[in-house]
Amino acid sequence: MPSRRHFLAGLAAATSLPAMGWAAAGSPVYLAAARDPSGAYALFGLDGTGHDIFRIPLPDRGHAAAAHPTAPEAVAFARRPGRFALVIDCEKGQVAHRLEAPVGRHFYGHGAFLQGGAILATSENEIATGEGRIGLWSCAKGYARIGEIASGGIGPHEIRRWAEDVLVVANGGIRTHPDSGREKLNIDGMRPNLSYVSLSGEVLEQVTLPDDLHRNSIRHLALAPDGQVAFAMQWQGEPNDAVPLLGLHRRGQNPVLAEADLAEQIAMQGYAGSVAFAADGGAVGITSPRGGRLHLFDSEGGFFASHRRADVCGLAPGRGGFVATDGLGGILSLQEATLSRLTTASRAWDNHLVAIDA
Amino acid sequence: MRSLLTATFLLTAAPALAGVNDVIRDHALPGTARFASATAALDAAAQANCTDTALRPAYQEAFDAWMGIAHLTLGPLEEDGRGLAIAFWPDTRGMVGRSVARLVAEEDPIATSGEYAEVSIAARGLFALERLLYDEDFAGYGAESYSCALAQAMAADLAVLGREVDTAWREDFATTLSSAGEAGNSRFLSPREASQALYTALATGLEFVADQRLGRPMGSFDAPKPQVAEARRSGRSLRNVVLSLEALRDFARTLSDQPTPETDAAFDRALTAARGLEDPIFAGVADPISRIRVEALQNDVRAISEAVGTEIAPALGVSVGFNSADGD
Repeated sequence: MPSRRHFLAGLAAATSLPAMGWAAAGSPVYLAAARDPSGAYALFGLDGTGHDIFRIPLPDRGHAAAAHPTAPEAVAFARRPGRFALVIDCEKGQVAHRLEAPVGRHFYGHGAFLQGGAILATSENEIATGEGRIGLWSCAKGYARIGEIASGGIGPHEIRRWAEDVLVVANGGIRTHPDSGREKLNIDGMRPNLSYVSLSGEVLEQVTLPDDLHRNSIRHLALAPDGQVAFAMQWQGEPNDAVPLLGLHRRGQNPVLAEADLAEQIAMQGYAGSVAFAADGGAVGITSPRGGRLHLFDSEGGFFASHRRADVCGLAPGRGGFVATDGLGGILSLQEATLSRLTTASRAWDNHLVAIDA
Repeated sequence: MRSLLTATFLLTAAPALAGVNDVIRDHALPGTARFASATAALDAAAQANCTDTALRPAYQEAFDAWMGIAHLTLGPLEEDGRGLAIAFWPDTRGMVGRSVARLVAEEDPIATSGEYAEVSIAARGLFALERLLYDEDFAGYGAESYSCALAQAMAADLAVLGREVDTAWREDFATTLSSAGEAGNSRFLSPREASQALYTALATGLEFVADQRLGRPMGSFDAPKPQVAEARRSGRSLRNVVLSLEALRDFARTLSDQPTPETDAAFDRALTAARGLEDPIFAGVADPISRIRVEALQNDVRAISEAVGTEIAPALGVSVGFNSADGD
């Protein structure tokens, strides 16, 4: 693996300019968490072909990370129900801030930056009521908590910046309580939704599923350049029920639910772990580590390809299509019809591959 | 012809781990050959006489052969939906019965079109044919009836599937597995990944026996579901458990390069319990006394999973999926 110390030494010699942004951390294209063979967890910065740019130790298994749009800072979230998140200075390779969930709240594992990176938003649970909250933190004030807004539902999981002051929120609908870990407390009554929420707390638009899909937890999100939102779902019924696991939504329109043919749909085992658009927004993919599948659809929801890869989960836009990561250490390039290896590392990549938007 | 192709394959199969090649040669290929020949015999029987009583023996033979490979869900059985086209179970939405009923009610000409593979996978394979041969709503049809022609179409389709699976294993997937880690193999990026894939099939197969074949009819104590036992119409629910455990034991022994005393003992315990059960379609799950024995068998099968996890997985350097076992 490339030596970060050598890299930084060279960098320091070359320049001491501040505000170099992500270039100061080696210009990674992706962030991904992983478990090393030793059992230690770390956050990795990767280049566009999946090779290591930096490795920063994490205290425990993380879930997702959020990348600041300009500063070389990543926020790594503890797995839910997590009480803390770490702001990591990817230039110095160390923790810069530790975010504690306020009393009565815990994190749900995702976050997003708004207003050019001035504000970090985090998905949270108000434990007493089970209501979803979005915590707001000021980056300029050392990530001080500056407020919170309603998420528009229960169990918010992934959130994305839809506009500089609008979040799109996957309210998964599942109520959990930290006293009972990840136990799902309301499967029969769950009502997931996709909400567009303004920073001032207004729910601008909300998308719900047909009644017979009310147990389809909306959990992960991707955004196309034109504002189209893709949402990936996890079915809380029988794995063989073959329900759709991908939804596509444009503001002001009805959502389109997308599915493959019956055999391929069953193969996904009711579980989509990540979703991503290709960079041009023309194709959207979902992964199922349980089914060892990667399904591709066009932006209207038409199914066009299935790829097999054991324990595949992380997915992000990449050169010519997508880049995917798996629990066997593989980093794969997906271009149109072919899935090919970019590199293999002896570590288990965690659920998500995060593209840095800088 | 087959021995020639097998020999060719062996010559090209140097780099993979020993257990992987052993599984291909001694477990998978004999299993797919047997399934191909059993489904070909089913097809021949159906062309000769498609009535239910005439077809049942060949049907049972084909299903027995299926139990020898049903757990090999990687490769040819996951391509083109073949595994589900052969065996659409668990059928959580009741699609098999609905699909067959519709075909029979409408006398859909697809049955005699020679393109039966175009119908929904729920209307194909062993479970659709089981309805015709054993379900009182369909069985007892005449030799000239639509149902008889439909049974012929299903049997012929199964024979094609059997041949395809066997051919794809011999001519393609055996090499894909044994060349794991070589340049150009984008499916298995290292020899370990081939071992990992086979191990996953073993672990998943054991889980399927415990959670689905036994767990589905068990339901909960207050709400047992004997009516959803696998292949209960053809009286095979327990037989499928026994045969799949025997196949998985063979699979485990072949995959492991070392002696596996704990695993062997765990298989022996479960098989002894299963063979002594005398409850062919798990009707007893609704009775508190006989239910205990099914529960005990389920625990025995879970004990195999634990033995395999502690004895075989570390020796192969593999584990269950990092992400598939997590979920978030």
